[in-house]
Amino acid sequence: MKNVVVHPERCVGCMQCMIACATAHSHTKATPAALLEVPRPSPRVHVGAGIYNEGFPNRCRHCDPAPCLLACLPGAIYRDPETDTVLVNYDRCINCASCAMACPYGVIRYTEDYKAPPGKVVSVKCDNCVERQHEGKVPACVETCKTGALTFEDPAIAAKRKTGEVARSVSVGEEAREVPGSPTFSLLNALKRAQKIVNIR
Amino acid sequence: MIASVLAGHSAVADLPVRKDSFYERLGIDVILGEGAAAVQLDSSEVLTEGGRTIPFDRLLIATGSDARTVPAAEAAAAELDGIFYMRTLKHVESMVRILPEAGEGTGSALVLGGGLVGFKAAYGLLHRGFRVVMLIKSGYPLFMQVDAEAGRLIQEELEKKGLEVRTGVEAVGFEGEGRVEAARLSDGSMLSCSLVVVGKGVVPAMGFLPTEIETHAGVVVDEYLETTVPGIYAAGDVAESVDVARDKPWVNAIWPVAVEQGRHAGWNMAGRPVAYPGSLSRNVIRIFDLDVLTAGVVNPDEGEGYEAQVHYDPRRRLYRKLVTKEGRLAGVVLLNGIEQGGVLMNMVADRRPFTAPVERFFDGSFNFGLVSGRVG
Amino acid sequence: MIDPKKYENRTITEDGRLMLAKAEKDMIETVWDRHEAQQPQCGFCEMGLSCRICAMGPCRIDPFGEGPQRGVCGADADIIVARNLGRMVAAGAASHSDHGRDLVEILGKVASGEAQGYSISSPEKLHAVAAEYGLETEGKEDLAIAAELADAMMDDFGSKKSHLQLVSRAPQKRRDLWDRLRMMPRGIDRETSEMMHRTHMGVDNGWDSLIVHAARNALSDGWGGSMIATDVSDILFGVPQPVPSTINIGVLKEDQVNIVVHGHNPLVSEAVLQAVSSPEMVELATSKGAAGINLAGLCCTGNELLMRKGIPMAGNHLMTELVLATGAVEMMIVDYQCIMPALGTIAQCYHTKMVSTSDKAHFPHMEHHEFHPESATDTARELVRLAIEAYPLRNPDKVYIPVEPVDLLAGFSIEAILGALGGTPQPLIDAIVAGKIRGAAGVVGCNNPKIKHDYGHVTMMRKLIENDVLVVDTGCASVASAKAGFKTSKALEWAGPGLKEVCGALGIPPVLHVGSCVDNVRILVLAAALANTLGVDMSDLPLAGAAPEWYSEKAVSIGVYFVASGIFVVLGPTPPVTGSMNVVKLLTEGLDDLVGATFAVEPDPEKAALLMIKHIEGKRKALGLEARNIV
Repeated sequence: MKNVVVHPERCVGCMQCMIACATAHSHTKATPAALLEVPRPSPRVHVGAGIYNEGFPNRCRHCDPAPCLLACLPGAIYRDPETDTVLVNYDRCINCASCAMACPYGVIRYTEDYKAPPGKVVSVKCDNCVERQHEGKVPACVETCKTGALTFEDPAIAAKRKTGEVARSVSVGEEAREVPGSPTFSLLNALKRAQKIVNIR
Repeated sequence: MIASVLAGHSAVADLPVRKDSFYERLGIDVILGEGAAAVQLDSSEVLTEGGRTIPFDRLLIATGSDARTVPAAEAAAAELDGIFYMRTLKHVESMVRILPEAGEGTGSALVLGGGLVGFKAAYGLLHRGFRVVMLIKSGYPLFMQVDAEAGRLIQEELEKKGLEVRTGVEAVGFEGEGRVEAARLSDGSMLSCSLVVVGKGVVPAMGFLPTEIETHAGVVVDEYLETTVPGIYAAGDVAESVDVARDKPWVNAIWPVAVEQGRHAGWNMAGRPVAYPGSLSRNVIRIFDLDVLTAGVVNPDEGEGYEAQVHYDPRRRLYRKLVTKEGRLAGVVLLNGIEQGGVLMNMVADRRPFTAPVERFFDGSFNFGLVSGRVG
Repeated sequence: MIDPKKYENRTITEDGRLMLAKAEKDMIETVWDRHEAQQPQCGFCEMGLSCRICAMGPCRIDPFGEGPQRGVCGADADIIVARNLGRMVAAGAASHSDHGRDLVEILGKVASGEAQGYSISSPEKLHAVAAEYGLETEGKEDLAIAAELADAMMDDFGSKKSHLQLVSRAPQKRRDLWDRLRMMPRGIDRETSEMMHRTHMGVDNGWDSLIVHAARNALSDGWGGSMIATDVSDILFGVPQPVPSTINIGVLKEDQVNIVVHGHNPLVSEAVLQAVSSPEMVELATSKGAAGINLAGLCCTGNELLMRKGIPMAGNHLMTELVLATGAVEMMIVDYQCIMPALGTIAQCYHTKMVSTSDKAHFPHMEHHEFHPESATDTARELVRLAIEAYPLRNPDKVYIPVEPVDLLAGFSIEAILGALGGTPQPLIDAIVAGKIRGAAGVVGCNNPKIKHDYGHVTMMRKLIENDVLVVDTGCASVASAKAGFKTSKALEWAGPGLKEVCGALGIPPVLHVGSCVDNVRILVLAAALANTLGVDMSDLPLAGAAPEWYSEKAVSIGVYFVASGIFVVLGPTPPVTGSMNVVKLLTEGLDDLVGATFAVEPDPEKAALLMIKHIEGKRKALGLEARNIV
């Protein structure tokens, strides 16, 4: 089954996935109108800074078993077996933040949402764009990403490709850490890393 | 959830997590309203309060815990209305019923104890407009959950909303005509109140067990949740397993731990050995404009190898305390900016070493990329 | 009180750490906080791979080769990177040159008697520069010469000429090279305007020709706008001579009215200095209970006052917010460039009045008191009066000036350096030939929160002087080294034996404080003079340049004009060019074949210093001098 696969080594930190995600979870579903809505839609994917200020797109893994689901006191978090998506029922959610405490990835936020009862702050997280998937579209974050950091594919196929890349990089004697296919991005990252190390010294 | 009902955020009808058909659907024979009275080891049978005898191949003790009683309250509750423990749905239903009489919006309530229960009761009553006086033995509320600095900040927040905290005094008796009207304190003074909530902690409900089942603070279990008697398991508030942050046996009587232990006990009892890594104390509470998240060892003892780093950012109202031991995170206190609390809590639970300088974790919104180990 | 040790990773300076702790206590958001909040910064932009030039876009190129490889117009990574770099040079050159133009306008107004409070302070320099422009000075009044010079300089800004006048200071070989390569700057505004034209969609789509024009644009700044700025400033306000002063936050005084000037153009800071010295103002200050009026400078305008008048400096770029956190600044007066728009907000936490003075530069939460040449003195006096009125509003509980200032010797214009050498560059040349001084390095440029504050500058300079390389510095770098004690005779302890001997004998520190960022041209002029004396090109000299902590587009222009003039330049922060390997190769290798110098990027200042030392020794060898083998 296809799923969103994250390739963090390709993330340049441009945060366009965040804007696309928020827009896709708005009433109007188009910028700039979406960003002017009340309540303002919020992104479910979060791009943050790693150790050397490299980009990292952080997204719900729809774990199985899901710690958030197990931790939810009123039983507001449930699983949709058809798309293997962990979803939140905004009507049941009591905004107790037990799910944030359980989530090992820190992908849950608390805001108002146009689909929740008005004025109620609820737990908001990635829903695999199930609405878009039913319309035959790919998740919004994947559609927007231009570096291939977010793809929509069978994770097994992505893993196989990764295995191939690693195997090839080892066999020609390259630095195993080299990102295949972008000497320029590698150069930038090497300089950024060197800079950070000099600063910490 | 009952705290939520007390505060008026949720209705009683919102409480059930499962549909009524739950037991039937899973083929569970359930006996409600009747507790276990004794366990007979030689015949592998459980005797119920109603006189039934139920044989077992595998037994799970999940009797939870009961509110710890306070003698003064016990004595008074027989004569006076308005004195409650806060443990069961019945407790909270009774409380909610008498709130208008007790002066909802203008009355004054007395809370005994500054732990989680007392604290949540206080919050709920403040939210209903009561003036609340909290009597605590220790120096600040949530003594077991947070450190002194955070406790002080939390207390300040509640005091802004009408809470009064008195330390070092206890209630030794209650007075009133049919309903509680005042409390006699250990320093000799009188305190008028129309409602009293006792939150002095919980005691595991294990008194009915035979001595072969070893108990300390709770029923002792190994990593497979099995007690000292083979075939008999324990999980939840009643069980004492190893705490992963403290590295020693401990009872962590909280919902998520009960869920974890229940699942593990179930697997093991069904014949699939699954080791339980241990429990972790953790809590998250939202009170007015302040969010509190705690996990693991928060007030480390001297000389046990813990180090604590505190960072307070008054401009963004963020408080962070990170307790470390041997390069791994052992405890966390967060005030506000709690969304990443789960990442930290899992770092404690997994006993993972730090992947980035500790200062990076003080930020209200550090990203998982810090711990992902991506080298890129 | 917050422990300042937690700021060890942000700055090497003691006053910086203490003031960061005070800023945290006062809940001030600083540039470092904002930098952290921006992480991760967009990789497309960091690599120069994003383009917003036209409305068919905005576009970006995928460095992984799978997403889009061309913008909507068809520009590939090379073109997009080169265009972006070109516009950075244009912006930097325009900033310096506009500053120069403002000074030329005032020179003209002084000549016609319309500039209140300004006058010709150095008739010698006026005559010398006028002669370079081919103007007759014999028997003419200074003001008449000034009028003609201003007019002639304005021509340099236009489109009438085939080369700028002051380019003639460069060796013939260098000028021939520029002509041959089409790098000869023809008009100051013209080159910037042409860069904007070339980078419009559908004009110059040669990534290499764009870089060549960028060099020309930068040269129109280095041998044009900036050079005019420095020379006219010398004419109007005096040629700097060695002058002692003090530096760091401690120059602010608890018992005096503190006025801080920030920005660039000495037109404003010199007028303020005059007003501050007036007896009437001093009396007003004492009547309010102050012991006097204390003027201190920040950044380039501070350097201008320091070089000419010995006015103390409070700090460089990353200290500008922290200065306000002392709670002791009655007024900060700004004009243009490098003034963070955050300052107005921060000043609201204190009694400090923030004043903007340029019609080109407006800022949030600042009072605008525009400076005009006809009324400069009046405006300056009014500002000083307002500052004095603010003195009683100072909250003593919030005042925190935790350090004692450091001494320094500044004022090393070329004239001063030659003066120190006895009137000619020969002693310096002799020392270089003898190998006592291996060569010279210009360490220049800004601060950047990406680099630990002042660490880049100080670490690099320490290593250079240890290896007997004479250092000349400007801008924020010069403030960094001065705060670290490099501008005193005590610093000779850190110098290698040869440098120690020569500087000791001449009575100069091992690091010479050359001035503000437009004063980088003083280094160009010195290099040109050495080259001319030796009969070689500038690229043959044992010289190197570095900008270990740069942030500004002006720094890009400076770096490019130094390289285009034949001087190797090492950068600390990475410029946004890594998206194109072609551009990277041209800048770090290819330029050697064209202009005899290249760029290098090295985040570690010790390694960067080594690159410079290696380069210098290599040039020595090529000149037939004794050279060390550096590994």
